[in-house]
Amino acid sequence: MQGFGDLLYGFNIALSPYNLFIAAFGVLLGVIIGVIPGLGGTSGVAILLPLTFTMPTTSAIVFLSSIYWGALYGGAITSILFNIPGEPWSVALLFDGYPMAREGKAGQALALAFIPGFFAALVSIVLFTFFAPLLAGLALKFGPAETFAVLTLAFSTFTGLGGGSPAKTIASACVGFLLASVGLDIVTGRPRLTFGSITILSGFSFITASIGLFGIGEILLAAEETLEFKGIQGKIGVKDMWVTTKTMMRNPGTFITGTILGFWIGVMPGTGATPASFMSYGIAKQYSKHPEKFGTGAPQGIIASQTAAQAAGIGALLPLVTLGIPGSPTAAVILGGLYIWGLQPGPTLFIEQRDFVWGLIASMYIGNVMGVLFCLAMVPVFTAILKTPYAILTPLIILLSSIGAYAVNNTTFDVWLLLMYGVIGYVFKKLKYPLAPLVVALVLGDMTEEALRQSLILSGGSLAIFFTRPIAAGFMILTIFLFLLPAIRPLAQRVGRTFRAEEAEKAGEG
Amino acid sequence: MRKAEIICALVLLAVAGIGMAEAIRLGSGWGPSGPRAGFFPIWLSAILGLCGLSILVKAMRMNPLAEAARKPFVSKPLLKHVLAVFLPMAAAVVLFEVIGFYLAAALYLGVFMRWMGRHSWPAVLAASLLFPAATFLILERWFLIPLPKGMVGNYLPY
Repeated sequence: MQGFGDLLYGFNIALSPYNLFIAAFGVLLGVIIGVIPGLGGTSGVAILLPLTFTMPTTSAIVFLSSIYWGALYGGAITSILFNIPGEPWSVALLFDGYPMAREGKAGQALALAFIPGFFAALVSIVLFTFFAPLLAGLALKFGPAETFAVLTLAFSTFTGLGGGSPAKTIASACVGFLLASVGLDIVTGRPRLTFGSITILSGFSFITASIGLFGIGEILLAAEETLEFKGIQGKIGVKDMWVTTKTMMRNPGTFITGTILGFWIGVMPGTGATPASFMSYGIAKQYSKHPEKFGTGAPQGIIASQTAAQAAGIGALLPLVTLGIPGSPTAAVILGGLYIWGLQPGPTLFIEQRDFVWGLIASMYIGNVMGVLFCLAMVPVFTAILKTPYAILTPLIILLSSIGAYAVNNTTFDVWLLLMYGVIGYVFKKLKYPLAPLVVALVLGDMTEEALRQSLILSGGSLAIFFTRPIAAGFMILTIFLFLLPAIRPLAQRVGRTFRAEEAEKAGEG
Repeated sequence: MRKAEIICALVLLAVAGIGMAEAIRLGSGWGPSGPRAGFFPIWLSAILGLCGLSILVKAMRMNPLAEAARKPFVSKPLLKHVLAVFLPMAAAVVLFEVIGFYLAAALYLGVFMRWMGRHSWPAVLAASLLFPAATFLILERWFLIPLPKGMVGNYLPY
């Protein structure tokens, strides 16, 4: 029971008064970020990242991950009570959450999101505690070829599972990679793509990019529709919690599918909580005995989307600490934080940074308990935030974003970049280019290039190295499959349809 | 939308072209220490170029009379809303450089609240005094992150 001892050790660290305070502060900020529409978990974590620069590394990761847990809970409040998603991952939640709240069962709808969501998070953290050391042990054997193969796998999931136009997805990733390669070349030290400018010699920061693309872009998009928050009042009573727990017990299938599916999608690099909640909702509807009730306030719809979102949030950190690859855009920002704190993300963390890893894992348990307690007790307090008028909220978010961007390098140049990214984010969102690949590529660019070039040096320039080593080959085959998936899918659907039609015919004959 | 798609694809192609030219200048082949500096960018630019072309072709083949194609990227009244947020933000960034973050923040917040939200003067004054004061305490004192103070920074009493 080596793992159990490690976990206790982690709790020892995470329960220190300072870390406990940091976790509570992070969860609280996270819930607030979650509640505010237009301020997502990704940009929220990026804006607050500079606050961690003066913290010890363990407290820093506890702070950032706690914000993530808080935001996962907080997004639900806005969706259910105001019919506006507080976070992208709570869009699927409002399909059934809002109708239920409008029937006068707001408390129940909220509890249905929080309580199963909490248990889903708990199950995922147990899975995390179990799998993380195993995966890290495996990853320690990775050479550059395996690293490159895993990284390409990360990008293939965007095209395979992201659901957007493949050309736009790949283009977005390429722009991110190109931005990452600006500055000094990592191997030869020659300045690249700087065009003589000294300001950009140190490269482009992903923090500015994620705040600008997600945060400012979202604000410009929101400006098109005058946001007015007319919501339903909601408070969670003890009775609501009791009814909800019973509902959850009566729908074990929805709960378990949501959790496992969410965790798995979270672990898949690059995807995260948003697609997880949609997929889980879709599956729950498809296999329900009463699919027609979905969209009118079905409790299963709430359970399915929220459990998957929470589980995916936890899962997204698994490849982060074991492989050094983010499982979601928010995890990508946290990964960038690791580099800034001077840590080398990846399996060596488990050996060299035991405090960090186990402190993080223990704080997941603590952070989620705090998150669910805050939300169950203080819904009215958080909804009061939404009464803040638009004309105050918008400039405040913009000012906080500017501080976040400025603090990266202490230059106003980054604030100018923020404006530019904001415009790009707005245009990309309108034209349906996915933004996550760009940010993830910007974070992972140097690592990807280094792995590729080292592999090629090892093999003397032959690409065969990626297919002759068994682990790398496995990842590469999966990568190619995922890249081809958008092309295969319509074909498979056509085959499936004719197959089903034949079956129906046979059934008719019999 | 069709026009916007085409313009965006052309911009992507231009970026790919710049990347390609720079990669060729740096050398993209095999050097004494393995792949040269331009090796990674040239492949990225090539892939980006292909994606840009594919998006461009798809947009060009869109029926220009179809509803999706004719829908404007952003309608004029909506553009006004977007600019009402974007332009003050850009002005605030200019002010950061000149008069520093705290004064610019107070001014920006106050103007936006009064002009967009038609808030009462007491509310405007309270917000534009409290926010800079709070950020000052939290950032400079607590987290030790100094923000730009512009030209007036030298005259402030600390």
